[in-house]
Amino acid sequence: MTRTEQIETRLRDALAPRELTVRDDSERHRGHAGYQEGGESHFHVVIRSDAFAGQSRINRHRMVHKALGPELTAAIHALSMDLDT
Amino acid sequence: MSDATQKIEETVKSHDVVLYMKGTKEMPQCGFSSRVAGVLNYMGIDYTDVNVLADEGIRQGIKEYSDWPTIPQLYVKGEFVGGCDIVTEMTLSGELDTLFDENGVAYDKDAAEKIRQANA
Repeated sequence: MTRTEQIETRLRDALAPRELTVRDDSERHRGHAGYQEGGESHFHVVIRSDAFAGQSRINRHRMVHKALGPELTAAIHALSMDLDT
Repeated sequence: MSDATQKIEETVKSHDVVLYMKGTKEMPQCGFSSRVAGVLNYMGIDYTDVNVLADEGIRQGIKEYSDWPTIPQLYVKGEFVGGCDIVTEMTLSGELDTLFDENGVAYDKDAAEKIRQANA
């Protein structure tokens, strides 16, 4: 399973999103700190889920961190998020 | 409380606005840190920058302090505000202005408007 698929699976399981996009942005960061050959270092995720209702921005991000788990979160160099209900 | 935690607590409680970042506000070493520092610089905020690359203890300690795995991290009056995505969203929505207003932090309102117009 690629890291992209791993991220998708964990987010789907934890947040039951109505909309989910996981984009590997690594090539846009070629030459930057944290870039690894083969990509899968920089990600952007877009999630629309009812699970975010009533949650602050910080809590929404924490829910994503928790869903991914500490190892995957640490393995990814950069993860930017667009989270909404 | 570890030394790093104690140092972090002292820093965020004794300065109104603190940015933990990679590099310095004059010379950021990471795109995400650069974006947040750029916003604060442009808005004319008087803030304290802490370069986590200069202190491994602080680099790990700040993640535990806020229970937040990434850098940059912005603090206003000792409270954790968020990282790059959240600060960007709050800048564009005007929530950051409100936060500064509520906490008596001086900033350039026109500059904040210019950022919003440029990203509309």
